[in-house]
Amino acid sequence: MHPNYFAVFREFARNSLVREMTFRGNFLLDCVSSLSWVFMQLGLYLVIFEHTDQLGSGTGWGRWPFFVFLATTLFVNSLVQFFFMTNMEELSDLIRTGNLDFALLKPIDTQFLLSLRKFEWSSLANVVFAAILLAVSLGHLEFRPTPLQGVLYVVFILCGVALLYSLMIALGSVSVWLGRNESLYDFWFYITNFSRYPMEIYEGPFGTPLRLAFTFAVPILLVANVPARLLAWPFESQDWRLAGYAFVASLVALVASRKLFYKALAAYRSASS
Amino acid sequence: MSVVEIEGLKKSYRVYQKNEGLLASVKGLFHRTYKEVEAVKGIDLKVEQGEFVAFLGPNGAGKTTTLKLLSGVIHPSGGTARVMGYVPWKREHAYRRRFALVMGQKNQLWWDLPAQESFRLHQQIYRIDAKDFDRTRDELTELLQVRALLGRPVRELSLGERMKMELIAALLHSPEVLFLDEPTIGLDVVAQHNIQQFLRHYQEVRQITILLTSHYMKDVAALCRRAVIIAQGQIMYDGSLAGIVDRFSGHKVVTLAFADDEAPDLSHFGTVVESHTPKIKLRVDRPKVAEMLATVLRDHVVSDVSVEDPPLEEVIADMFQSAEASLATNKS
Repeated sequence: MHPNYFAVFREFARNSLVREMTFRGNFLLDCVSSLSWVFMQLGLYLVIFEHTDQLGSGTGWGRWPFFVFLATTLFVNSLVQFFFMTNMEELSDLIRTGNLDFALLKPIDTQFLLSLRKFEWSSLANVVFAAILLAVSLGHLEFRPTPLQGVLYVVFILCGVALLYSLMIALGSVSVWLGRNESLYDFWFYITNFSRYPMEIYEGPFGTPLRLAFTFAVPILLVANVPARLLAWPFESQDWRLAGYAFVASLVALVASRKLFYKALAAYRSASS
Repeated sequence: MSVVEIEGLKKSYRVYQKNEGLLASVKGLFHRTYKEVEAVKGIDLKVEQGEFVAFLGPNGAGKTTTLKLLSGVIHPSGGTARVMGYVPWKREHAYRRRFALVMGQKNQLWWDLPAQESFRLHQQIYRIDAKDFDRTRDELTELLQVRALLGRPVRELSLGERMKMELIAALLHSPEVLFLDEPTIGLDVVAQHNIQQFLRHYQEVRQITILLTSHYMKDVAALCRRAVIIAQGQIMYDGSLAGIVDRFSGHKVVTLAFADDEAPDLSHFGTVVESHTPKIKLRVDRPKVAEMLATVLRDHVVSDVSVEDPPLEEVIADMFQSAEASLATNKS
């Protein structure tokens, strides 16, 4: 008999919420601090757009299309934060302290158990903010996306989440061999910094290698760029190719990171009691 | 067929040999020396259904490693093991649903939430029928007398209360095999006793198979008829608890009380353990006991006499010490 994954997922969500409500001061502070970061980001770009019409000449990323992009980045990052961030941060500790033992005893998929145990409910504040920003920005665009583009937008947001999650679980898995992996979150932050900008700005002798590396080697540039293009302007043939590639890349990333995760579990050596 | 069947089970770890000092640490960045540590060195063991077996040994003997191998938490370096027909490290759900591991030094309950929330999560993970879940939870909380604590966050429970909750979490799915790794560690005498009573009752009623590691001989004496002693990753003894004293203790403890406040020198018969005139307690080699008693009873007026086996704890402690000493000799 297989476990009822949906029921377990619901229990995780419920327990996390009860836990966050227990420490309501901390919960409110988390909401305020992540919203402040978002407001600062928005403020910075508002200042930038006081001085220029678009990011990079001829890129098409004017003020409102770019805010669609910003909202998309926020959606993806907040969803990753909501579902996975706390769990991935804890994974390294579980491995180092041997507390991963208990996860390996349960008759349920271990990756599912470790990836979704705790939800970070405060990051939903950013999701709400992103939805408002997206609605306002779309209202200012001349281009109106079709319903199909709307559906595909959701699909590619999920692909973006899958790409970032795969990267996270792969980084977390490495902890089994490293023993200690405290730079996981830092590395994550550095690398996802590159995904927050339109890929057109990565041009020239420094930009092109970065664009190629973060499109084909570690495809994090696809995370926000593909869904944002779907809503920001009419989709062109080269965008479809990129979207197809993003879809395949996220599937490959999920499969590869799962294999790495299970390889790591086979090498897990626990810790002395 | 035995419930637990182990043949030639081995587990070794590669451990980084770090030398002392900054220079050695810097050198370690470029070149490292590793050592192979054999935690379990090819053990054979069979446990039958319904047995309550104590797994004894000094720290680092390989007890916990063996339990982790049998739970599928870690993979072995060699040998085979089957529990209820399953190879544990294949980590099959069907196996995981039929056993439980409780570790006295680790906790699996959500720290900030009441234990009942973790129990409900277990219900979903193990797909326990709602009625069965309620019945088992109520029965276990009654037996362990923690019903009133179900709604209290785990972090606010005492160590003993927390261990009771851990036991409940582990037993909710009615496992057929239970691995207990020092379940009473750090608990006061009352809490230890409560948990012993509970485990004895539960095992008698359910007839499940239990492997217990503990450093408290009171746990072992109260619960297990069979003991397996492991030291340096090898099984040194497998048999009854009573047999340990017969096999490993070469002496008896003789206590004498003299009638007329005398305190004769009896040190030539053995080692004097205590001497409070008119009472003397001696450790005497088994073959000499009869001769010693005959001599003392002939030459002195004795008001009371007792001849006992040394306490189990003492015999096992001596055994562990000699095992560690022999390990140190082998190392050097």
